Formats: sequence, C-alpha cells, structure tokens
Amino acid sequence: MRIIGVYNIKGGVGKTATAVNLAFLSAQEGHRTLIWDLDPQAAATFYLRVKPKIKGGSRKMFRGKRELDGLIKGTDFENLDLLPAEFSYRNMDLMLSERKKPARQLLRLLRPLSEQFDNVILDCPPNISLVSENIFRAADALLIPTIPGTLSIRAYHQLLDYLRENKVRGVDLMPFFSMVDRDKHLQAEVMQDMTASNPEMLSARIPYDGDVEKMGIHRAPVGEFAPQTNAWEAYRALWAEVVQRLK
Amino acid sequence: MSTNAPEFRLSGAHALAGIESALKSEFRLEEESETRFDHVYYDSFDWRLYQAGAYLRREFEKDRRHLIMSGLGDDSPKESVAFTGDMPRFYWDFPESVLKENISDILDIRALLPLFELRGVSRSFRMLDDARKTVLRVQLKQGSTYDAQGRMGTHVDGIVRLVPVRGYEKFLRKVSRFLTAEMELVAVTGSLFDELLASIGKVPSDYSSKLDFWFTPDMYSEAVARHIHLHLLDTIESNIPGTRDDLDSEFLHDLRVAVRRTRSALTQIKGVFPEDVVERFKPRLGWLGQITGPTRDMHVYLLAFEEYRDSLPERYRRDLDPLHRFLLVHQRTEHEKMVKQMESEEFLQTLADWRSYLVSPDPGASALPNTRSAVSETAGKRIYKIYSRVLDEGLAITDESPPESLHELRKNCKKLRYLIEFYRSIYPEKDVKPAIRALKILLDNLGLFQDLEVQALKLQEFAHQMGKEGEVPPDTLLAMGMLVDGLMKRQHQARHRFGQRFALFADKENRDHFKRMFSQGKVKQAA
Repeated sequence: MRIIGVYNIKGGVGKTATAVNLAFLSAQEGHRTLIWDLDPQAAATFYLRVKPKIKGGSRKMFRGKRELDGLIKGTDFENLDLLPAEFSYRNMDLMLSERKKPARQLLRLLRPLSEQFDNVILDCPPNISLVSENIFRAADALLIPTIPGTLSIRAYHQLLDYLRENKVRGVDLMPFFSMVDRDKHLQAEVMQDMTASNPEMLSARIPYDGDVEKMGIHRAPVGEFAPQTNAWEAYRALWAEVVQRLK
Repeated sequence: MSTNAPEFRLSGAHALAGIESALKSEFRLEEESETRFDHVYYDSFDWRLYQAGAYLRREFEKDRRHLIMSGLGDDSPKESVAFTGDMPRFYWDFPESVLKENISDILDIRALLPLFELRGVSRSFRMLDDARKTVLRVQLKQGSTYDAQGRMGTHVDGIVRLVPVRGYEKFLRKVSRFLTAEMELVAVTGSLFDELLASIGKVPSDYSSKLDFWFTPDMYSEAVARHIHLHLLDTIESNIPGTRDDLDSEFLHDLRVAVRRTRSALTQIKGVFPEDVVERFKPRLGWLGQITGPTRDMHVYLLAFEEYRDSLPERYRRDLDPLHRFLLVHQRTEHEKMVKQMESEEFLQTLADWRSYLVSPDPGASALPNTRSAVSETAGKRIYKIYSRVLDEGLAITDESPPESLHELRKNCKKLRYLIEFYRSIYPEKDVKPAIRALKILLDNLGLFQDLEVQALKLQEFAHQMGKEGEVPPDTLLAMGMLVDGLMKRQHQARHRFGQRFALFADKENRDHFKRMFSQGKVKQAA
C-alpha cells in the first residue's frame, strides 16, 4: 500500500482537484484506491457525491473505537473508495493530541487497510499543524501543488525548513506547478527559477482551466466528464510522473 | 472491494427484459454500459483447481484481459491479474502476482486447459439516490456456453447481479427484497460454475490418477480384477490425447503409471485369468511401456534441469546450456517417434483387444482356482506372500551387496504397493494407511538410489551422443561431469541410509501389523 499526501501550507492551490483526479486515474489503472478527505471543508467528499458525515463521529474514530474499515464509502467509480470528511475535522488537532504518539495516529489507523488498498491518497488541510505532521510521517510521497508566484516559493521553503527541523525523513517531496496561466509572463520566470533551484520539481504542469472548475458542477473527476481536454491530459501526465518517481 | 454480490437467475427468453422494466419503474436506474463479454474457464486435466475449491476464468472485456480466480462456493473473486499476449498455460507463464503464487502450489507442473466458454452481453446500471450518487450497481447478463470444441451448450437466459457499493448496503437489501418479494426470484446459493459445467456435460473431478476403488470383501476375485484392469485401461486411454498433443508431461506420466500397474496386476493377481491370456498380453502391454520410455526420460531431465543447474556453482551454470538444447531437441524427436507408434495399428489393436477381453466373459476362467473366491481370501494371501519376499530379500542385503539386489527389492516393493493400493478398500482405512506409509518410506529410498544411478548413467550417455552429433564445448562436458559426480554422491548417501530405512520397515511392530492385516485377513466387516 502506497500513501500519497497532497498538501500545501497555502490553501486554494488546486489541492483537492489534484487528489480527486489522481485517485481516479489510479483506480482506472486497476489499483484499489482510497481517497481520505482530511479537510474539514470536505471538498473531495462533495466532488464524489458522498455525505460529509462519519458514522459515530470523528472523535470515536481517532480513539480507535471505530475501525476505518466500516466508515469507508464506495464512490461512483470502480476501485475508488472514499473516507469522507466532516466538519468536526476542524478539531482534529485536538483529537490527535489526546492520543499517545500523536504524530503517528494516521499511520496507525491506515495500517489495517494495507491488504485492501494499493494506493491511498490523502487530501490534506492547508497550514502546518499536528494533522500535517501526521501526514508527513504517514506518506511515502508528498505532492505539493504550487502556484507559480513568489509567495508559493516562500511557502515551499517554509515547508522544507519545517521538515528539516522536525527530522521528518523518508517522504519523497514532489512539488509541481498548479493553476498555471500561460499568459502571465511573471509565472514563466518564477517557474524557470524554481525548477533550476529545486530539481525535485515534477515537470508536469496543471493549467488554470475552466474544466477543472467544472468538477464542482459535475461532482466528478475531470476525466469522467471531459476526458479529451488539456486539463485531463495534464493530470494524466502528472500521475504518470508520480508513478514513475515512486518506482 | 465489494462484499457479497447476490445473484438471481431467470429462465425464459423475455424474462430479463421484464425484470429490467420492473426495476426501472421502482428505482432510479441509469444505464452505465453495455459490453460483450467472453469468459473462458480453465482447470488442469485432473481438476486441481476444482479440488482446491476454486476455478479460473479468463475475461475479455473491451480491450482488457484478466485472469480471475474465484471460490467455488459463492463465485466470489479471490485474486486477479491483468495479462497481455497469449493465455498462460503453466503457472510460470503468469505475470508476477499473488495469483501466480497461489496457483503455483495448486497446479504444480500441470497445464491449464479450457473447460468451456461463456459468451454474451452484460449491461450495467447504476442505481442513484437523491444526490445522484451511485448506491448500487445492477448487472443484467445473458449469454451461451460453448464447450472446448466450440459446440454450444446452453443459453443462459438471464442473470441479475447486484453489486453493492461500500457503505450503501441498505440499498442492496432494498433491491434484494424487491426482487424476492415482488418479482418472486430466488437468490442463487449454488455456484454458477457448477451449473455451467453441467450445461456442457462436464462432470467435475471425472479424472484422477489416484486409485479409488470401492470393493467389498465378499466380491468375486475375478470381478474385482476385471474392474481394476478396466479402470487402468480407462486411465491409459484418457491420457492418450494429452500425451499425443504434449499438453503437459503428466499425461504421459499417468499413462505410464497405469501401464505399469496393469502389467503388475496382470501377473500378480493370480488364478483369475487363464495362463495363455496372461502370456499373450504380457509382452504387448510391456511394449506400451517401452515405446513411451524415451520421451518420459527427456521429460524427467527437462523437469529436473533447473535443479541440476542450480546444484552447480554459479560460474558453471551457463555451461549446461548446450545440454538443455540437446534435451529440447531430443524431447521433440522422441515425442514424434512415440506419437507415430501410438497411432500404429499395433498400439490401437493392443488396447482394443485388451478391452474386448476384459468386457467379455471368459468361459476358460471358470475352471481357474480363484475366480469365484472372495477377494478377501485371495488379496491378503497374495499381498502377504509378496511382503514375505520383500522381507527375505531385504534382510539378505548387506553393505557389500551389489546395487542390483536393491533394484530387485525395489521391484518387489512396487508390486507390493500396487497390490495394497488395488485392494485398499476392503481393509479398514486406519489400518491400510500405516502399512502404505511404512512401505513408502522404504520405496522412496530405493527409488532415489536407482533413479540417481540411472540419471548419472544417462548423462554419460548424453555426453557421448552430443559428441557424435557435433562439437560439444569442453566446459559443457566438464559441467556435466560435475553433475554426474553430484548424482553419484547423492546415490551413495541413499545407499548409506538404506539399512536404517529397511530396519524401520522390518521392525516388529510393522511385521505384526502386516501379519494381522494380510495373513490373518483383517478385512472390513460387512455393514
């Protein structure tokens, strides 16, 4: 079972769209895939038409009273299941801190699922918290959607500092450019600089595209309602590169 | 990832359309796809998957090829793997996967053969809730079965399959209830696989190389003998096509074992067939063994080749490649020669004559001493006689005895084993088992001793033959020499262990056991 986190300290960078579209691609390839929506806004849950509710409540789940197994919901797509988010996730930090080894709770909860799933994709809430630390410790790879701009570069460096200071090792960092607007010259310059100084940058780029926006209307991954589009091509390229890097 | 997927089966040409419209009027269904499917079901000739409680099917759906292994009880898929190219025939042809690991233990060296094909159309519907979320999938299938020769078996008029979506099981219960209560359908509990097999006239486990007789102690000896022989003849004949087409090496192996058992039964079961009949068929049946020997030899070396190669240090392994090529070429030529013989008048007539003798009454037999005796009287006597011979011969063997004395002992042990196996059902199973086990330990030792010698000699023979047929690299001959050396060493070890193995076989407890069973006739009591 591979665990892939999709994360950025900043919000609004195309994180949930990435998580949902890549999970769909993984499932289409025949991998048994789980997407865990950890963001209290529950956008991934909404995209996949599942009610943002956890039976028995999330506190019970973190206490280990309810196994994740019984909380998982099938989506409309073969091989793709979802562990929904609910609004109480906004208190997740608190719930985690009540536990022993608070930074390793996600991994503990995910471990029993290793026989059931090949890929688990975590849609993570923005900002640095105990939740994100859990994610860093559980994930094999961290996908970091980055809007080409000076603030994003700063956010990425903040993350690198944090990981170094907290001795988080063994997670493969995969930043990539998201919401790329070809008409903005400044973006092109930023991308060039950032790629030069960060060789771990993936080369696939996700465009700023109306089709991605429409996921909220169709409540489905882009590949389901607009498979012959630039946006979908970009996600496919991104997934192929991620798979290659994970090998 | 689905849990249990209940299935309902319909009969009648228009039943499926009726169910479709009933479901649509009651629930919110949206058609998802319509696909043609083509499923071919496989097992080995001796039903190894079926025996292990499973079956394997190859699915062609759209452009995807999958192998899926399912459980017999509920048709639930256990493992699957995608593949490209030709259908894998042996487990080693499978793509690396859990399925490969599991199937390798079950199939071993047997090939997968097609049992039948199910072709048809599958339509898939999503059932939606108020948020248009898919909460259940309904599959409607219809098709036909075809046997391995492409002849149609039966129409499958309709299958309704409910595939639950995880976390939405209440919708599954709702639709299940509707189908059973309103539409009066009954959820199927038996396996579809069994039904499909029956539809093309296949009986599972209709072949096994194991002897499984059900004789009672009071049966006439002659009737029992004929039954044994007819069973063995069936085994020989049912293995001929697979041997001819070289589907896997076990066809020939089983055929040869059946021939050996036949020859042994012919001479060891005394006083039920006239002497002239025995004398007439002995050489003809012996010939069946002879013409199939060389091909079997090649199979043995090819099957053992990897083990041979791995027994050498890494740097010498490639030197055996010319030997491997030699074996492959000769396996083919020997096989062709054998097939010609098998298609000859002599071969066919031998089997036909033998069958015709076995199924017709022989007036000459009634004058023989044992024909009308109960098998309980004749079997034990004969077994005990051969057992005593084995004991005498074995006890006479010392460290100085020549190898031939061990080979001779092995022959008699085999006769003994065959006899016990033929008559096993007239004795209490709990008593037969230890007798066979004791004999098997001894036979394994003697078999190893002789096989290793034969293999070493044969390898020498191959080396000479390879030289005659063309240049052989000296490194190859050296590597073969190392193999011979290894075999001889192992043979020496086997010889060394013989004394201890035989002592175990001949200890007082075993001797008493054999005596009680076969000399004092401890047969099963009539129920």
